[in-house]
Amino acid sequence: VNGEDVRKVMEKMGCGSRYWGHFASFCIVALSSFAYADEPAGNPDLPSAASAYVRDPRALKLSPQDSQLIMDSQLYGPIPYLLAGNEDQTLAGEGSETEAPGSGDAPVSGRKVHKYLGLGTLALFGLTALTAPDGGRNNTSRQNTGTHHQLGIATAAMAASTVASGLLVHWDDFHFEDGYADPDNLHVMLAGAGTLAMLYAVSVAPAHSHSGAGIAGGAAMVVAVKLTW
Amino acid sequence: MMRTKLKILAGLVVALPVAATPAVAEEDFMAWLLDFHRTKGVAPVTDERYKEECGECHFAYQPGLLPAKAWDALLNEQSLRRHFGANAELDSDTLRDVHDYAVNNAAEKSYYKLSRKISVATSEGQVPVRITELRYIAREHRHIPERMIKGNNGVKSLSFCDKCHTEAEKGIYDPDTVSIPNYPHWGD
Repeated sequence: VNGEDVRKVMEKMGCGSRYWGHFASFCIVALSSFAYADEPAGNPDLPSAASAYVRDPRALKLSPQDSQLIMDSQLYGPIPYLLAGNEDQTLAGEGSETEAPGSGDAPVSGRKVHKYLGLGTLALFGLTALTAPDGGRNNTSRQNTGTHHQLGIATAAMAASTVASGLLVHWDDFHFEDGYADPDNLHVMLAGAGTLAMLYAVSVAPAHSHSGAGIAGGAAMVVAVKLTW
Repeated sequence: MMRTKLKILAGLVVALPVAATPAVAEEDFMAWLLDFHRTKGVAPVTDERYKEECGECHFAYQPGLLPAKAWDALLNEQSLRRHFGANAELDSDTLRDVHDYAVNNAAEKSYYKLSRKISVATSEGQVPVRITELRYIAREHRHIPERMIKGNNGVKSLSFCDKCHTEAEKGIYDPDTVSIPNYPHWGD
């Protein structure tokens, strides 16, 4: 599949050459963000215990129960570091790697990109519905340059990007052995069907009635998002 | 235009209850429908006594992580005497409160997504009483090498959810919130 094929498909769907560029942009934005997925924060080279920064433990301000440590150090020699109860194994070398700092909540990830693409699709769907000219009954308004038409194409393109990103990042989250009632399986089926309906609506517009397919597609998307929200 | 809006509304009204049928009606359906807060994981523990009694020995697992029949099998006098190899007996009043809270907030009584998944997966057949043996939970953790769990001093067992799931206490188990101790680049 090359760019020419995609352009031909887009033209068949009723999207002019300028729209396939929009579609490609959506895909690039969706895919490029995966490079940042699950990037952990923090410096892995930092020592795990704050006490590792202190060479002389007696320089620390000790709580009353730590007086025993001072006595021990006077009797048995210097204590290398002041350790918390669970750090003795780290000192013994059993946990030689450093701990992960931070909460682990990745600021940008494939999952977040998928989420925002989905929400963007719903927003565009709402705008497309709101800009529908006279319920599609007035033939004079049936043109492929109006706001409604362009919003419809943008919605379908964003829906397709959402599905593509979902398949990439959530590939292991849906298993048909779990049954059709599983929320993730329902999400995939509804979002996939909704996107197809939207693409169909765009492909037959403006020559033929497409409100049913467009609305069904949007409704399926809304339900799919709510089920896994 | 008006007709279009009505069609959208009608589609949503019909589709949502149909799609949400696995979630059972103990919780208010309308409250869930109109709630825009994320309910992707499980409902956090709200009962102080449950949190205190269970949390004394281990992470206070949210009731939404198991179906009611599993909580029923776990939280009785006989089972608690041999609670995964330890005696965890409770006095009868405490046991009743803890049992009732767990059963009343079990997976099949919650609209939270993870609970619905667990509920659907355990609706038939035998139900494991170990959360880590639930098909979904086992599947989600199968790719994590043993050295990161059993061989990791900061974790030691899959049972310690909160060691890696940094927002487990809030009922959030999203992979984006995972940080495995000693393995900052675990996802690579």
